[in-house]
Amino acid sequence: MREVFSLRNGHAGRSIFRICNVFFMFLLLVLMLVPLAKVISDSFDRSTIYGLNFWPKNPSIEAYKSIFTNPNLRQPLLVSIVTTVCGTALGLTMATLGAYVLRQKKLVGRGFFAKFIFVTMVFNGGLVPTFLVLKGLHMTNTLWAVLLPPSVNVFNMILMRSFFEQIPESLFESAEIDGATPPQVFWSIVLPLSTAALASIGLFFAVEYWNEFFRYVMYISKTDYYNFQIKLRDLILSEQNINDPAIIGFANMVKNAGVVVAMLPFFVIYPFAQRYFIAGVTMGSVKE
Amino acid sequence: MSRFAKAALAIALVAAVAALPLLAQAKPASIKLMVDGTFQVKENGEQQLVDGFKDLTGIDLVLNHPVHNEYYNKVNLAFSTGDIPDILIMSGNWYTKYADAGALYDLTKLYNKSDFKKRLADPAVVEALKIDGKLYGIPFERGNGTITYVRGDWLDKLGLKPPKNYDEFINMLRLFKNKNPDGLPPEKVIPITSAGLVNSEYPLDIYLREFYQDATPDFVKKGSKWVDGMTEPNMAKALKRMRDAYAEGLIDKEIITNKTSNARDKWASGTVGCFNYWAGTWNLNLHNLITKNVPNAITRPIPPIKETKYVERPATTYAITANAKNPEGLFKYFHEFVLDGGKGQTWATFGTEGVFHKIEDGQIKWLPSLQDPKKLFLKAVISPELPVTNWQPNWKPDPMISESLKMFQANSVAYGLPPANEKYLELLPELNNIKTQYVTKIVFGQMTIEEGLAAYKKDSAKYVETMLAAINKK
Amino acid sequence: MVKARDWDRTRRQIRNDWMYYAMFAPVLVFVIIFNYVPMVGVSLAFYKFTPFARKFIGLDNFADLFVGIRAPQFWRAFGNTLFYSITNLVLSTILSVTVALLLNELVSRKAKGLVQTILYLPHFMSWVVVSSIFTLILSPQVGIVNNVLQELGIEPIYFLAQQKWWTPIYFFIVRWKETGWGTIIYLAALSGVNPELYEAAEMDGAGRLRQVFSVTLPAIVTTILIVFILNLGKVMNIFESVFVLQNPNVYNATDVLTTFAYRVGVQQGNYGMGTAIDLFKSFIGLFLVLGTDAINRKIRGSSVL
Repeated sequence: MREVFSLRNGHAGRSIFRICNVFFMFLLLVLMLVPLAKVISDSFDRSTIYGLNFWPKNPSIEAYKSIFTNPNLRQPLLVSIVTTVCGTALGLTMATLGAYVLRQKKLVGRGFFAKFIFVTMVFNGGLVPTFLVLKGLHMTNTLWAVLLPPSVNVFNMILMRSFFEQIPESLFESAEIDGATPPQVFWSIVLPLSTAALASIGLFFAVEYWNEFFRYVMYISKTDYYNFQIKLRDLILSEQNINDPAIIGFANMVKNAGVVVAMLPFFVIYPFAQRYFIAGVTMGSVKE
Repeated sequence: MSRFAKAALAIALVAAVAALPLLAQAKPASIKLMVDGTFQVKENGEQQLVDGFKDLTGIDLVLNHPVHNEYYNKVNLAFSTGDIPDILIMSGNWYTKYADAGALYDLTKLYNKSDFKKRLADPAVVEALKIDGKLYGIPFERGNGTITYVRGDWLDKLGLKPPKNYDEFINMLRLFKNKNPDGLPPEKVIPITSAGLVNSEYPLDIYLREFYQDATPDFVKKGSKWVDGMTEPNMAKALKRMRDAYAEGLIDKEIITNKTSNARDKWASGTVGCFNYWAGTWNLNLHNLITKNVPNAITRPIPPIKETKYVERPATTYAITANAKNPEGLFKYFHEFVLDGGKGQTWATFGTEGVFHKIEDGQIKWLPSLQDPKKLFLKAVISPELPVTNWQPNWKPDPMISESLKMFQANSVAYGLPPANEKYLELLPELNNIKTQYVTKIVFGQMTIEEGLAAYKKDSAKYVETMLAAINKK
Repeated sequence: MVKARDWDRTRRQIRNDWMYYAMFAPVLVFVIIFNYVPMVGVSLAFYKFTPFARKFIGLDNFADLFVGIRAPQFWRAFGNTLFYSITNLVLSTILSVTVALLLNELVSRKAKGLVQTILYLPHFMSWVVVSSIFTLILSPQVGIVNNVLQELGIEPIYFLAQQKWWTPIYFFIVRWKETGWGTIIYLAALSGVNPELYEAAEMDGAGRLRQVFSVTLPAIVTTILIVFILNLGKVMNIFESVFVLQNPNVYNATDVLTTFAYRVGVQQGNYGMGTAIDLFKSFIGLFLVLGTDAINRKIRGSSVL
């Protein structure tokens, strides 16, 4: 095991390094936090022009109240949550299935499949053809248009595969000897050993679905199905929002609060996901 | 088949053909209508308007109502993928472009026969929308434009009258900055702001009228030939005015990163002295915005200085698409209905009774808006303050709104449509980006006027050449 | 004869492995429907395709882009794309790996967790949000940065409107948003490094720095390469970050292929031209990835793809 901080035993060099490291981390945190702190502080601040302060000058929680009580904003929040949860589940299913099959080195056609899927990362059909396909499937103006297409993500699938490749071959061999079918191996060996991978790639998917914006704009016209990001952009950029009571008089405050709300779910989810990262530390180093 | 049946069929067919013109005017069962952000949003009575229309006409309005900023992107997409509405909102460059491409139905005949034509308040508003003598859309309200609002309370405290000429105007901005009546330090004051130096859509020169004066960066007709306004001598003078004022700190430092919403927020914060913004309802809105923070602030529209006029945009229209099945019926049951001077116009202007307005002592009074009960509705579909026909509903306009409109209309020039030419309209948006870029560089002092214009000429040469060739051909 | 026997074996193998194919089917179906079917649409690049016209025009769109009216903007956008995205990719790899290594050296689990949580946060913000935060902070009138400068007696600077400031600030903002997130994958790789290796290195008297170079880096070099090559595939797609921070004063220096394609294609309804730009972009992207992977294969003997 690595030893803890100590000035004895000629560890001075290491100690200096650690102190520098802590200092560096501290600087990094300040750099990261200043803009965030400003947003959070301003989201509670009624003032119209903000200054150098990191504490609200005219404290008020009106902005949050209006976000959570206003159906204009509540409905999009709901859409965001639903699509993120379903999308992540769907995305993980696709990524794990794909990665599991692609990791079978002896499978006939594996190389072809890998290339077949990889091509889609660089080439895409563009807006109009994609729109026409979705329209043909009667998916425009439904949430399917934002849920299904991004669920196969080459990047995530390749990463997942590289995680799976770290699972020792012997485990598979012994399972095969026991007569387990591929789905059984997938379910009872691969998945349980991949919590860290599932957590990190699941988070990748969650972020993608949560921040999805372009697909809503292009494939959906019904404002009922718009998510929080669209509403947020509308809040920030819109030219015609004067009739929106959430805005008048304290526009900046609501914008800032919107930003905070948009990050909130990850404040909540992240500590859990992070637990899995740490729990999964052992994953990569399963001893053979 | 018996001979009788054959004869009957033949007669039926002939009758059907004969009845076609009649049938053509038949009432449509539903109308696919595509509208932008000027239509009430879902939270603010969209459904009630649709229901009201159905009650009055028995016709279903099937709305396609994209977010405002995405409207024309969605229109393009709709036409490209065959999902074409019957009636849609069209304005400015897009109106010309779609009309020129043959995507809109020629309404000239129907318009000439229509009843509302006789009641038009100002036929010029409609005439301005004709392309080669043909009309492709009907305006339901007049075109609007921007007016200059100043802080009336600042003027009063400084003992100033609204400026009459450019020198007085600049002097006023200087006093706002250096002797601020509210005691703001000079670096906190924004003497004049707007949502950009060059407007992002047609017309390009609606902001900062006092600086543009007679110049425009857009194409202008000189005699019978079109020329590029950017390279005209008066544009160089306008650029000098802006450049000097910017260097002196009179124009908002951040003018080019302003969206109209930020510019509004700045006005609301009480640090802005002068603001180019839409006339009419916006006068009231701006007043409401600023008095929340600065209770004594006065939002005062002023007449233009003597060197310039305000600009009235060509009106926004409701057009019928070329492949709509029953254009006559659509025109009759939508356009003529909306401008009928009676029930239809009341629906379009004041919405359904009990939702948008109530009748008190025979007078129409707005009800609180559904979205924000603290405020009243200001319109249903079309603004009552900008009528195209003579119509006197029993209703009193808000003085702030009607006064600023009156001032605007008395002091504005109506801009015509841009030339209808495919190549021209295809290249225009990109050229406008190039223009905006060099105007900005010059005004910000990063290039001298000569350098900037020379660089502009070099960058835009192919565009301007192709476009001028296209529109000067006729 | 030999061939036939080979084929027989292959067939038997396929039949034997049918479950794998069944498991792969949903992925394949989705890819075909949502990626390959629309890909037929790249043919639009050879059409004049607008809301009103659908006419085959051969290579006219490309001619316009390469040597025609749009050529100056097109090549400028191409140059900018390469500059911004490749610089960013290099910066991102260096910074994320460095931060991941340093994070890994933090002794306290709690501190590490806290730093990680905070580092990842900006990734969850959309670009619209990030751009508005920084536009506010860097504002010459109300921004904190200029407030501080003014206290120091320095004239306020309009950061986002000046070319010389825009570029470094752009990289700063992109890295501010994404560096933390980029460390995740490296941290996961680092957690997989066998502790015995460190112990062994320590026995040999290797210092901390030596251990980093002789144990840690070699252990995660595969991950670094995979991420680098995969990201190269996306390099040409740089869009939102530029789009939201762009303003007219810096157009020439900031226009990238995607923003150009978006304006021409989506906003101006010239879908054929937009697709042509996209197609060109895709080819460059493919070339970059395959090229890098070929180099990688030569050096390491195995392909990432």
